[in-house]
Amino acid sequence: MYQVVVPGDFLSEETKRAGEGTYVEEGKVYASQYGIASERGEIKVVPLSGKYMPSRGDVVIGKITGISFPFWIVDLASPYEARLHVSALSGITREQIEFGNMSEYLDIDDLVVVKVMDVNALMKIELALQEDIELRRGGRLVEIPHTKVPRVIGRNGSMIKMLKEKCNCFIFIAKNGRIWIRGKEDDMDLASMVILKIARESHTSGLTDRVAEFLDSFRKEKERG
Amino acid sequence: MGLEIVSDVRTDYVCNLVRNGKREDGRGFREYRDISVERDVIKRAEGSARVKIGDTDVLVGVKVEPGTPFPDTPDKGVIITNAELVPLASPEFESGPPNENSIQLARVVDRGIRGSEAIDLDKLCIEEGEKVWMVFIDIHVLDDNGNLTDAAALGAIASLLNLRIPNERYGLTGENTLPMRDTPVAATMVEIEGNILVDPSFDEGNAAASSVTVISNADGTLSGMQKSGSGGLKEAQIAEMVEIGIEKAGEIRGKYL
Amino acid sequence: MKEEIELIKDGKRLDGRGFDELRPIKIEVGVLKRADGSCYLELGDNKVIAAVYGPREMHPRHAQDAKMAVVKFRYNMAPFSTDDRKRPGPDRRSVEISKVCREAFDPVIMRELYPKAGIEVYVELLQSDAGTRTAGINAASIALADAGIPMKDIVSSIAVGKINGEVVLDLNAVEDNNGEADMPIAMIARTNTITALQMDGRLTKEEFERGLKLAMGACHQIYELQRAALVTRYNQNYESKKEER
Repeated sequence: MYQVVVPGDFLSEETKRAGEGTYVEEGKVYASQYGIASERGEIKVVPLSGKYMPSRGDVVIGKITGISFPFWIVDLASPYEARLHVSALSGITREQIEFGNMSEYLDIDDLVVVKVMDVNALMKIELALQEDIELRRGGRLVEIPHTKVPRVIGRNGSMIKMLKEKCNCFIFIAKNGRIWIRGKEDDMDLASMVILKIARESHTSGLTDRVAEFLDSFRKEKERG
Repeated sequence: MGLEIVSDVRTDYVCNLVRNGKREDGRGFREYRDISVERDVIKRAEGSARVKIGDTDVLVGVKVEPGTPFPDTPDKGVIITNAELVPLASPEFESGPPNENSIQLARVVDRGIRGSEAIDLDKLCIEEGEKVWMVFIDIHVLDDNGNLTDAAALGAIASLLNLRIPNERYGLTGENTLPMRDTPVAATMVEIEGNILVDPSFDEGNAAASSVTVISNADGTLSGMQKSGSGGLKEAQIAEMVEIGIEKAGEIRGKYL
Repeated sequence: MKEEIELIKDGKRLDGRGFDELRPIKIEVGVLKRADGSCYLELGDNKVIAAVYGPREMHPRHAQDAKMAVVKFRYNMAPFSTDDRKRPGPDRRSVEISKVCREAFDPVIMRELYPKAGIEVYVELLQSDAGTRTAGINAASIALADAGIPMKDIVSSIAVGKINGEVVLDLNAVEDNNGEADMPIAMIARTNTITALQMDGRLTKEEFERGLKLAMGACHQIYELQRAALVTRYNQNYESKKEER
C-alpha cells in the first residue's frame, strides 16, 4: 500500500536522504508536493501531477511554436519554451538555412524529437535534434501528463514491451509525456486507447495484469469479428 | 534525412477518424455526449441550471430585478444576456472585458430566447413607463470542452422554466411564476471532411472549418441561427444541418426540459 | 446606529450552531478537466470553484520575475452569486480580496523553483453567503496541490466575528450583515503561522485575542478536511479500481 502525502506532511528526520518533492526545515524532511511518498534510496515524493521541467540530457518531443532567426522556438509541454539553433539542422542536411527559408525545414506546429543540451539559471533551454527518430506523417501523437510516463514504461520496461508487441506499433515515449505511435490505423487506435487508460489508472495496483487482460480480450473479440 | 515532419497532429487525427466514420470518443456523428441538467443550484438566483455536455460544464444563473423600461417599449420587461468566459474554464481564456467569443455566445443564446418569444415581455411590466422586471441571464462557463453554445442555451431555458419573480423582496405583489411560451433549444453542428457532426468536442471544434448553431422551438420553427468559423458551406449542407438541428433539439427538449 | 437584530437565542445561533461551530464543509478535488488543478468547495451556503493553471509562460513579458514565479490570483463573483446581481468584472472589493488571498499563499508556494513563469489561481464564487474569501482560499489551496505546485504547506482559512456581543466562528450572511465585527484569517496549520488577517468592525483587545484563538483552532479542523479530501481522492481511485476487477 502506498502513502499519499500533501505539502507540509512530515516524512522523516533523515535530512541527508531528502530527495525530490521534499524540503528540509529545522532538521526535518517534509513533503513539498502532493504525491506518493517513497523511501527507496532517497526520501522523495513522486508527484501525482505537475508540469514537466526540462533537465539536461532529457529526450523529448517538441512542437515548433515560432521562428526567430537563427532559432526555432520549441514548446516542450513545460512552463518554458526552448530554442533550437539552425545549425542543429544544417549540420544534418548540409544545406544553407537562412533567415527566409527556415520554415521550409521546420514550420510552426511541426513536431521534433530533441535532446535537452543545457538549462541555465534563467531557464534558457538549448536543444539538439535527435535525428534517429523521425516523426513521419501517418503516425500519431498521444499526450499524457509526464508524471504518468514511468507507468507507461513499466518496471524494467515491461509495460511498453507488452504494448509494442500486442499493438503491433512503433511507440516512442518522450520524457515530457508526449508519445509517438506509428502503425496501422486500427493498431494505433488500440495503442492510444490503452496508453490513455494507463495514464488514467496509473495509481491503481495490478495495472500491468489488467492491461494485458484488456489487450488479450480486445484481440480475441477482433478475431471473432 | 528525409525531413517529412508532421504538423497539426490533433487536427489530422480528428479528420482521419471522421474519414473512417469514427469520432475520438466513439460516438456516432449524430450522437450527443452525455447531457445532465441540474436545476436550482444557486440559491441567490431566481433561476439557475448547471448543464454538462460531456466534460463541458456551464452554469447559468438568472437574476430578476426591477428597473426602468426602455423608452420605446415602456410596457415591456427587459432581457439582458451576458456570458463570461472566465479564465478558470480554459487555458485559452483571459481575464478582462468580454471578447468577441463571449459576446457571440451571449448573443446567440439571447437570440434564441428572444426569437422564440418564450418570455412574454408584457407580463414583466410592473408600472408602465416607470418600472419593469429586468431579467439578467448570466452564463458562467466553468469547463470548456467544446460546444459551449448548446450547453449555455439549454442552461438558459432550463433556468427560465423554473424562474421565480421576487415580488416580496421588492415589496410588490403579483404572479411569482413566469409561464414560458416556448422552449428554444440549440443544436450545434460542424462540418468535417464532408460529414456533419453534432455536438463537437473541443478538438472537433478546432478541426472544423465552420460550425452552425440551429435554435428551434417546440413546434419545429426556427428562432435563431449562427454560422461561425472561416469555412464555407453549401446550401444542401445547411439544409441538412437545419433538419438535423431540429431533430436533435426535439430529442433534447423531450429528455431534459 | 443599526437596530440590533436578535442573532442568538438560548445560547445558539439562528442556524442552530454553537459559537465555536463551523458551517458544514464539502470538498471535491479535480472537478475541472481543462485546468491543471481544481477544487469545488462548499462552506455552508457558499459554493466556490478554484482552478490553477501553470506554472506556465508568463505574459506580458515585462511582468515576469527573473528569480521566481509570479502568482496571479483572481477572486471573482458570478453575477448571480448574490442577492442583488453583481455587475460582471472586477471592482475595488474583488481587487483587494484577490491581493490579500494571493499574499496568503506567498509563504508557502515555492516560487523560486520556477523563475520567469506564472502561476494563475482563479476563484469563482458561484453562490455567496459571507466568508467567501475564506472559502476561496481553502479551495485554492487544494487546487494548487492538485496542480502539483510545490508548496511548503497547505493554507487554511476561516473568519470569526462578533454578533450580539459574542465572539463567534464563521459568520453567515445574516450574521455578517447584522454583526459588529468580522475577521477573516488564513493560516498554515502545521506551524500556526498567520498568512492573512483582516478585520472590520469593532472588537476589544480581549475579544480579538479570543477570536484569533477560535479561528486558529478552526483552521486546524479545516486543514484536516483539506488533507483528507486530497488523500482519499487517490485511495478511492485505488479502491474502486480494485472492485472493478
